[in-house]
Amino acid sequence: MKLCTSCVLPETFPGIVFDKAGVCNYCRKSLVRKNSSTDLKKKYSDRFLALIAEIREDDRYSQRPYDVIAAYSGGKDSSFTLRVLAIDFQLKVLAMTFNNSFLAPRALENIKNVCTSLKIDHMMVSPSRGILSRAFRNSINADCYPPKALQRASTICNTCMDLIKSLILKTAIEMGIPLISYGWSPGQIPVQSSVMRFNLSMLKQTQGAMKRCVLKIMGEEALPFLLQKRHLDLFSGNTYNISPLAFLEYDERVILNEIGSLGWESPGDTDANSTNCLLNAFANKAHQERFGFHPYAFEIAGLVRGGYMSRETGLKRLSMPVDSGSLKAVSEKLGLSKQ
Amino acid sequence: MDVAGAVRSFIVEYFLFGDDENLNDHTSFIEEAIVDSTGILELVAFVEETFSIRVEDEELIPENLDSISSVERYVSSKMKG
Repeated sequence: MKLCTSCVLPETFPGIVFDKAGVCNYCRKSLVRKNSSTDLKKKYSDRFLALIAEIREDDRYSQRPYDVIAAYSGGKDSSFTLRVLAIDFQLKVLAMTFNNSFLAPRALENIKNVCTSLKIDHMMVSPSRGILSRAFRNSINADCYPPKALQRASTICNTCMDLIKSLILKTAIEMGIPLISYGWSPGQIPVQSSVMRFNLSMLKQTQGAMKRCVLKIMGEEALPFLLQKRHLDLFSGNTYNISPLAFLEYDERVILNEIGSLGWESPGDTDANSTNCLLNAFANKAHQERFGFHPYAFEIAGLVRGGYMSRETGLKRLSMPVDSGSLKAVSEKLGLSKQ
Repeated sequence: MDVAGAVRSFIVEYFLFGDDENLNDHTSFIEEAIVDSTGILELVAFVEETFSIRVEDEELIPENLDSISSVERYVSSKMKG
């Protein structure tokens, strides 16, 4: 299998073209560049600080229980994001976890430890296992996701993320929380998008498209997860999407050290690319079999390009073997017949 | 600068992987599932970097970003100042 000589993307990656030096077109035209984003990071960090100041000057500030609702998977990046929000930025944080019924036991322990250590409130939503199993099972062969979405994540992860984003946004609107934070790594989102205000007309359109796909996969079982008209009517226009790890220094060793002091430990039973979810390995395998490339290749390539990870480490993460017993257990839990 | 051409090239290469069969200047990126909510952010990053403009929060609307012709109109007006 031919790979880009600069990042980790394989020849099977959609739209990939290699130049004479074996460097891929994604590297040549990347939105994430090594060492060239320091000024940009500072720009967006300053923008975030200005936004925080604006929120604190708002007359409603003292009555508002939370400044930010943070999507919290229990993984290393979202755990570090919580720490950054609560300690570095001194924000009033509500952490929200979507329990997709595949969270590793250690991840649940990590969630409790981190939230306790940081003294932040935590909300967990645990939908019916039957509904989720059907949703994930139906996602495996879903054909409604944009091609780019399938480069970034598996179909199963796309469905899970759509449900998470909807729930977080609904909760933020209902509770009047101005900031919504995600623990996206620098490889997952360009820094230019790390501090962005939601716009109602754009929200309506993107939510509408997402809803059509999720309804196709889940039918009416999706409805409780999705935004309703009343949420759009309530929407004030002062809700921001924040991805702090895109504009802060990202060093995995530092991250692990910091969250370790909060009682976080790496689960021993998740795959190489997840620190919280037992469904991940199965989702990755299904994606690879269907599309011919690993769904984490895009993010890892971005981390390599940005200088956050060596190419060697990236290649290792993408080629780690998966325990067949774990895959079988997930397959059974999803109600799939024997493969 | 050929704004429409640059945007088309970016959309075809980055979001459609070379398949431009169903893409015209008025095709809705969102309605046709070419670009999702994360993709809009990537499009904004491309527009800011390529045309040296700043997309203000209130300008992040479908009328400015949801088709090749929309982006061309929006960018051209920003570049004129």
